[in-house]
Amino acid sequence: MNSPLDSTVLFQIGPVPITQAIVTTWAIMAVLVIGAFALTRRLDLRPTRRQAALELMVATLDTQITETTGAAPAPYRGFIGTLFLFILVANWSSLVPGIEPPTARLETDAALAVLVFGSVIWFGIRAGGVGGWLKSFAAPNPVMIPLNMLESVTRVFSMFVRLFGNVMSGVFVIGIVASLAGLLVPIPLMALDLLTGLVQAYIFAVLAMVFITSAVEDGAPTSPDTALPTTQKES
Amino acid sequence: MTLDWWGLGLQAVNVLILVWLLGRVFWRPVAGAIARRQQAAQAMLDAGKTAQEQADAALAEVKETRAGIAAERDSILVEAKASADATTKAALSDAQDRADALLAAARTAIGRDRAIARKENARRAAELSVEIAARLLGRFNTPAVQAAFRAGLVDAIAGMSAADRAALTASTADIEVVTATDMEDAERTKIEQVVKDALGGAPTLRFVTDPDLIAGLELRSAHFVLHNSWRADLENILKEVEDAA
Repeated sequence: MNSPLDSTVLFQIGPVPITQAIVTTWAIMAVLVIGAFALTRRLDLRPTRRQAALELMVATLDTQITETTGAAPAPYRGFIGTLFLFILVANWSSLVPGIEPPTARLETDAALAVLVFGSVIWFGIRAGGVGGWLKSFAAPNPVMIPLNMLESVTRVFSMFVRLFGNVMSGVFVIGIVASLAGLLVPIPLMALDLLTGLVQAYIFAVLAMVFITSAVEDGAPTSPDTALPTTQKES
Repeated sequence: MTLDWWGLGLQAVNVLILVWLLGRVFWRPVAGAIARRQQAAQAMLDAGKTAQEQADAALAEVKETRAGIAAERDSILVEAKASADATTKAALSDAQDRADALLAAARTAIGRDRAIARKENARRAAELSVEIAARLLGRFNTPAVQAAFRAGLVDAIAGMSAADRAALTASTADIEVVTATDMEDAERTKIEQVVKDALGGAPTLRFVTDPDLIAGLELRSAHFVLHNSWRADLENILKEVEDAA
């Protein structure tokens, strides 16, 4: 068995090595986009069961965002929802024989962490400007600036490591068990891996939302009347 | 362990593209559908609210119209009652007037009839009295009475004017000497003598008997009558009684 930390390069495009994780990601992207396009072609005021299921999913996501941030879900819906869907589908892609989840690779999880890091900056600046975003590092007082700056990196790093560790370990354990015990023995572990994949996708999306909310709230102009309630922080 | 920075960047770009694509083909359309349905539901709610308000307004208008109808009905009833009362009063007054007029006419008629009856009764009573008196006086036709009437006749002739006595005496027709009973010859002669003495001439006298005189002695000619009897007296009394009634 190869090391889970090594990536299998399928081909090269110039200097860019195209790994299996990237190709799988492209495939997942294609499935998601084509599936979304196919599912949302005929949306009507009188919803079908398919449309009702889609709307239930979006409404649930909006509810989660609203309950977490206390703000309108529209600006965050696309990013948070796509993160959740992509990570979920990527995690569950291990069910397809011969496919290794992209989230079991360092590059994919690191890319997701980088995107969350960038999105925190983006939404923080959009909500309170550059000054507001910089001021968020001084919350609750300037003494915390070094710690906050360190935290802004470490929290996304912890997200990246958590997702990578869980998914990679699941794939690795299933591979080991399958190589030792035969065909049907890894099935309970695969079922557990499905649950782990769902939970990890949910955790990643919720944490991204919490980080963005924290940046938006800390960077927003303070007003007793408009102050948002304190949201949960990563523990 | 090495990190493939090309792979990291490519995956970041891939996820960003996916975010953009899904935002266009999934999140926005589905959220838009939800928003459209919410707007449609809100529009239906607004329409329902508007319809409810219109229905409430129509109901209020109906209630107001119903109240107006009730008030108009009450007014019409009051007017009808007043009109009926006025008509009743007028009818009663008219009936009262008519009844009063009828009563007055009846009273007048009764009074008239009563007066007529009283007059008639008085007349009958007088006639009855005269009849009774005539019958009573008929029983007292004695020689003394005859003498008294004879003296009364002489007084009456004496009371006449000389011209009347002369005209009576000069009359060619007979002068009737009317008595109530047949006189004996001696009595007749006596009466004839007295009359001729009173008239102062020689008239032709003819004795006639008329029981209606009751008692008395009268002279009658073609153009002259000298009443001197109880009949004449009773008729005079009767006339006076009737005139007095």
